[in-house]
Order: sequence, then structure tokens, then C-alpha cells
Amino acid sequence: MELILFLITAAVAIAGAVAMLISRNAVHSALFLLLNFGAIAVLFLLLRAPFLFAIQLTVYAGAIMVLFLFVVMLLGAEKVEDAPDRIAWQQPLALLLGLALLIVSVVVGLGSATTPPPDGEELIKFSDPRSLGELLFTDYLLPFEITGFILLIAVIGVVVLSQRGRKI
Amino acid sequence: MELLIWLIPLLPFIGFLLNVFVIRREREAGLVASGVVVAAFVVTLIAVAMLAGMPPEERRIVSTAWEWINTGSFRVPFAIMFDPLTAVMALLITGVGALIHIYSIGYMHGDPRVVRYFAYLNLFVTMMLFLVMANNLLLLFLGWEGVGLCSFLLIGFWFERKSAGEAAVKAFIVNRIGDAAFILAMLAVFTYFGTLNFYGDGEGGQIGFLERVSDIAGLRIGPDWQPIFVSTAISFLLLIGATGKSAQFPLFVWLPDAMAGPTPVSALIHAATMVTGGVYLMARTEALFTASFTTQGWVAWIGAVTALLAGTAAMAQWDIKRVLAYSTVSQLGFMVAACGMGAYVAAIFHLLTHGIFKALLFLAAGSVIHGTHDTQDMRRMGGLKDAMPITFRTYVIGALALAGIVPLAGFWSKDEILAHAISHGHTPIFIILFLTSLLTAFYMGRQVALVFFGTQRDPGYHPHESPAIMTVPLIVLAVGAVIGGVINLPVLHWLTDWLEPVLHEKAGEFNIWLALIATIGAVGTGYLGWWVYTTNAARIKIGGKDPAYRYSGDIWEGMEEAWYLDRLYQRTVVAGFEQLANFLARVFDPQGVDGLVMGIGRFFGGLANGVRALQTGYVRTYALVFTVGVLLVLGVMLWFAR
Amino acid sequence: MVPTSYYILLSAILFTIGVLGVLLRRNAIVVFMSVELMLNAANLALVAFAREQLGVEAQVLVFFVITVAAAEVAVGLALLVAIFRTKRTADVDEVSTLKG
Repeated sequence: MELILFLITAAVAIAGAVAMLISRNAVHSALFLLLNFGAIAVLFLLLRAPFLFAIQLTVYAGAIMVLFLFVVMLLGAEKVEDAPDRIAWQQPLALLLGLALLIVSVVVGLGSATTPPPDGEELIKFSDPRSLGELLFTDYLLPFEITGFILLIAVIGVVVLSQRGRKI
Repeated sequence: MELLIWLIPLLPFIGFLLNVFVIRREREAGLVASGVVVAAFVVTLIAVAMLAGMPPEERRIVSTAWEWINTGSFRVPFAIMFDPLTAVMALLITGVGALIHIYSIGYMHGDPRVVRYFAYLNLFVTMMLFLVMANNLLLLFLGWEGVGLCSFLLIGFWFERKSAGEAAVKAFIVNRIGDAAFILAMLAVFTYFGTLNFYGDGEGGQIGFLERVSDIAGLRIGPDWQPIFVSTAISFLLLIGATGKSAQFPLFVWLPDAMAGPTPVSALIHAATMVTGGVYLMARTEALFTASFTTQGWVAWIGAVTALLAGTAAMAQWDIKRVLAYSTVSQLGFMVAACGMGAYVAAIFHLLTHGIFKALLFLAAGSVIHGTHDTQDMRRMGGLKDAMPITFRTYVIGALALAGIVPLAGFWSKDEILAHAISHGHTPIFIILFLTSLLTAFYMGRQVALVFFGTQRDPGYHPHESPAIMTVPLIVLAVGAVIGGVINLPVLHWLTDWLEPVLHEKAGEFNIWLALIATIGAVGTGYLGWWVYTTNAARIKIGGKDPAYRYSGDIWEGMEEAWYLDRLYQRTVVAGFEQLANFLARVFDPQGVDGLVMGIGRFFGGLANGVRALQTGYVRTYALVFTVGVLLVLGVMLWFAR
Repeated sequence: MVPTSYYILLSAILFTIGVLGVLLRRNAIVVFMSVELMLNAANLALVAFAREQLGVEAQVLVFFVITVAAAEVAVGLALLVAIFRTKRTADVDEVSTLKG
């Protein structure tokens, strides 16, 4: 049952990613990416990580993708690739490299993960958002604070970058 | 007593420091500089008196200040000593030096750099005293180089004149040749004796190499087909050093040019003291020289040839100071020849009397130059005997002493050398030296006639007598030139006895016939010189030729140019170096060095031009390359994780 | 139970698609999306491993990655807007002033 669910979700994720890659319109790309992100969120749920499922949906699917769509439409950059590619020779090379990268990463990745995940008491604790929250506010409090600081800097940076009429 | 002898060189050094760092006004500079040298003279007198109070065998005080260099087996103490030979040298240096310092107050009056002048002069006296008081070759070398430095600084004192600067550089460079040989000699001495000390300190320590010359007797070095005695090698190197400093053939060319310096400097450095450093060195290391028959021959012949060459050159000069300069070279040749014949006492005796009367002559010449507003060409002088009576009389006394007229100082010392030459069978050298002594009388007669007799040929100036501060030293020195011979009169031979512990010489026989002939000859040629140039005074024109030129022709020209030795060096050594420098500057530097540097630049420029094609500016291409890198890293990880 | 290797395989495929997007697409915004895809692929692999090891810490790490990615997207898009203002295009190939 779970395997079927996984296969379907995985197929959706790959389809979304490929569609994002090949669609000519940037708005379509963004929407396909949204599909992909959703599929990944479902996969997080399958992996018993409900909290990550939630923030994947809110942050990625919600906030980030909206931002993308907003910028595409603001700039009117739906179709910028009408002119012929000046470095077309790179395409076959890129595909070749992609294939090599796939092989290598699969080999590397599979080399270390073969044991099936166990079940039981531990898993419940793993999937409980409370344990994650405890860890976040005890052991990882300082990185948490730093992340907040980074977000603040990002906000300031965006404001500065978006200012008009001033040389940066 | 040890403290006392340290005072001798340190007093002028204090004067030097004061003049360099404290004193800013001319008047104080002259007073301080003269005061410390006078004080040093007084101290030297006291030290000599104390030395005379000791038994003759013990007349040597060695004092070590500190261990100067101490590296394993090579140990050099900063040690000075005081023995009879050093004593007479120190007396000459401080005595004549003090008079010249006092004289300089008047001579240098009004010069803008007079403080610096006195600082240099004090430093010179310090270094000269270290030279004669050193108890090892290295400290002697320190003094040796120190006086060379002061000589350089003082020759080039009026560096605004290009000729003065060039003369200073010339003196310095020519002296370097001798110094290089001196250094080699030091190395050789250390190799064969293991010490550079002249004498031991008398407290059971090392004994000096001069007391151990017998160690190297019969020792030979060099290739199998031509071995030479070690003593010959060392003494010959020292001889080369001495020819540089004492202006001997073939290195005497710097001394006449050195007259570009102030006249008191010429008197002190280039007549009385520094140039006698070579003679002192030979007398000090007399044990080494007498151990080598070969070197002694060279020494004698170099001295004799120098005496004759310089004597003839002095005859044909027009510059009042150049006459005296060549005369100095000639007299130094006498001393060196005396050393070569083993007559070290006679050499030192002549050194002392010559120091006095040549200083007198130079100072008197300086007085003439001062009184005629910087005129040095004798063709523009004449008839000065009425305008400057004191200068005239002292000058004549100096000239008579130099010419060797009885009973002035020069007669006794010169006669001792000649007598030694004839009594020890050095007949060819005797003939050359005798001839030279006649020439000496001739050129002094000529100079006196040209400067003081006849009428003034250049009416462009009003000659006047110099102030008392200059004439008093002249009178003192004139008295010294008259009575200086007393110290080693044939019957008294005080100097011989005094130096006996150092030089181990017995007094020579007085040759009455030789003395008679020499005196008659000197008087005759001196009078001849005077007579020729007073009767022919009308023929001497400013910028014109010498009257004798008509009879001797080109030979006279050769004499005037000191037998073209300078020109020879110019054409061979100097021209060679100039060509090398030209080659380096015009060919090697632009094509070799620049070519290399520019070539490297061009190579990398070309390389960069080729490589810049990789920088397409397309971010995606960079990402592509980046991916290749990622692949490589992953591949490596995969390879090692197997 | 789905084996972890399946997730890893999926993660590798998604990552490669992201790389291809960066290498092939010229639209700067799409390139940026591809970068996000790569981040997600990495997150997926991370969570899969966490599930295998039952490590809560890995979830914390993913949490941080998502947060920082949000900041990064904000700044990156602001940069894109700034570039667009001067160049009047979102084509990354047009931005090649650093050509050697």
C-alpha cells in the first residue's frame, strides 16, 4: 500500500520536475515546480515527518512559489528564450554531464542506504513534532537564533537592493 | 701607564666626537681640535719619558682593552702597545699634527664647512695613532683604512670642484689595490702563525708572530715547479700594501692628484704621516722582510725607481703643490729603498726629518697660496720674498733641509741612507739615490727661484704675509728642520740606540767623503736650479713652456707627465673598465637583463591572452565547468570509498 | 515499508533534473527554480536518511535548510529585479560583462 503511494507520488514529483525543465513559459515552470514541491511534501509525510510536511507546504509551496510567480509577472519575463541559444554547443555536453552525475550520485547514495527502516516506539517519537521542537529550543537554540538573524539580514538586503534611484 | 697610552689616541677621538656632535661654531672647532692634539702630544711626551726610564729590553707596553674578535681559533684583541718605534711615530704625528691643526685655524678661516674639516682632521689623527700603536695586524688595518677614509674625505673636502672629487675617488681606488694585498697578507700570517698579534702581552699569553718568524724559515708554498718561501709571500703582499699607502711605483699616481685637498691636509696626511704608514709597516714587520732576501731586493728597487721617477717629475711641475707632492713621493722612495737595504733606522730617521721639513714646506706653500689669493701656478708668482718675509725664510730653510745641505735635518738622514747603501754594496741603488738627491736640490732651487725671486709675473693680485697663527707653526717647524738632525747625529746616534730594542740595528759608520761630495753636489745643483730660473725669469710666461724645454724637448714633457704612467692607466685599466661598463650599460642591460625581464612578461602576457578565451562571461558555462568539478570530486570519493 | 534506496534514487533523479535546468535554461528565474529543486532533492535525501536512522536532528537540519532557502530566495529575486532594471532582460546569457 505504502509502496504504491510512494510510486505514484514519486512519478508526480519527477513529472513535475521534468515539465518545469522543458516548458517554455516561466509561469508554467513555476506551477509545475509547485506540483513537485507538493509531491515532496507528501513524501515527507510518508517518511513520518509531519512537521516538515507542514513547513514544506507553507514555506515552499506557499511563500516561495508565490514570490517566484510574483517576480515573473512583475518583470514580464515569461518568455525570454525566443532568441537562438548562443552557446548551443553546451546542450549535449550538459545532458552527458547530467547522466554522469545521475549515475555517480545513485552509486554514492545507494552505497550507504540499504537497510529497511525499523518500526515501533522510536518511530513515534521521531514523527512527533514535539521532540523536534524540544531539540530546536534546547540543543540548537543558538543556530535557531542565527537563522532568525539571517532572515533579518535578508529582509534588510532585499529592501536595500530594491531601492530605486540609488547606486548600490 | 697603560691608561696613559690609551689617552693618546682617545684624546683626538674625543675631539672628533665633540666636533661632530656638539660644536657648531668655527672658533670653538679650531680651538678644541687643536687643543686635543696638543694634549695628545703632551701625553705622548710623558709616555716617552716614562718609557725612557725603563731598562731598554723592557721598553714595550702592551694593553688590551677587550677581546675584539673571538671566534674559535681566530682571536683578535683590541690591543695597543707603546714601544720605541711607536713612540717616535706618535711624537711625529701628534707634534706635527698639533702644529698643522693650529695652522689650519688661520688657513681655513672663513670656510663654510670648517667644523667638519676639524672633525675629519681629528679623526685622522686618531686613526693614524691607532695605525702606529696597534699590537696586531687587524687593528693596524683599522687605522690603515681609517686614515685612507679621512684622506678620501679631506681630498674631496672642496667637493664642489669636480677635480677634487675625482682625485678623492682616485686615491681611494688606487689604495684599494694595496689594501687587497694587505688583507691577503693578514690571511697568510694567520694561516702560518695562528695569530695576528705583533708581540705577546707579556703575561704568559700568546706570543706574537714577529717573535716567531723563525717558525716559517725554510717553509715553502706554491706549485711544485716554482715554490716560494712563505716569508717571501707574506712580505711581498705587505710590500704591495705599502706601495699603495706610501705612494710607491707603480701606485704613486694618486698622490699628486691628492693635492686637490686643503694644503694643511696635504702637509699632514700626504707628506708627514699617512703616506709614511707603508714605511712604518715595513719597519714594524722588519723581521718578516729581512727573512726574505727576494722581497728585500724588490723593496729596494721599487724605492729607488720611485725616487728617481718622482724626482724627475718634480723638476718639471708648474703647480707649487705638485712639485712638493712629487718630491714627497721621491723622498718616500728613499725611505722604502732604505728599508729594502735593511737600513730601517735610517728609514725611520728620514721619515721623521722628512715629516718635519716637508710639513714645513707644504705649510709654507699653503701660506704662499693663502697670500696670493689661491694662486698655485708658479708661473704667476715670482718676487714674493719681500711681500712675505717669514714665509720666504722658512721656505728656504725647508728647501735647504730637503736638498740635504749641512747641517740641516735632511742632510743627516739622507746621508745615512746613502752611506748605508755604499757600505753594504748596493752600488746601483746608491747611484740612483745619489742622482735623485742632486735632482732634489735642483728642483728646490728652481721652486725657490720661481716663487720668491725675480718680479711678480701676474700683477692681478696683491701678495701679503699670512697671520701669526700661520707663521708661528712655520717658525716652529723651521727650527725643527734645522736641529732635527740632532736626534741621530753620527757621533751621538740617539735614535739608533733608542730603536735598538725594536729594530736591532747598530749605528753605521759615518762616511766623511760621501758627506762632502753629497753636500757639494747638493749645493751645486741647488744653486744651478736657482741660477737658471732667476736668469731666465724673463722667458717664463703665464701658461708658457719651461725654459729647459728648449734643450730637453720631449723628455721634459715626459717628466711633466710623470712618465705617462697616469695616461697608461687611463688607456689600459680605466679605458678597459669604461668599455666593460659601456658594454654592460648599452648591450648587456637592455638586451640581456631587460630582455630576460621583458621576455618573462611577454610570455605570461601571451599565456594570459590565450587563457582569457576560457572566460566567456556566460554563467552557464561556469556552471558547466563547476559540474565537471563536482563530478570529479564525487568520482574521487567513489574511487576511495570502494 | 519503502526502502531508503528508493528515496535516494528519486532524490538523485530530481537533483539531476535541477542541474540540467541550471545548465540548459536561460531564463534567470527558471534557473533559480532549478536551484530550489536541487535543494528540495537534497532535503528529501536527508529526511530519508533520518527516517532510516530515526534521527530527529536531521529534521532540525532540514528545518534550517528550508528557512535559509526562504531568505536566499528573497535576496536572489531582489538581485534579479535589480539586474532586470539595468539590463532590461532576465536572460542570464545577456549578463556576460565579465567576459575575458
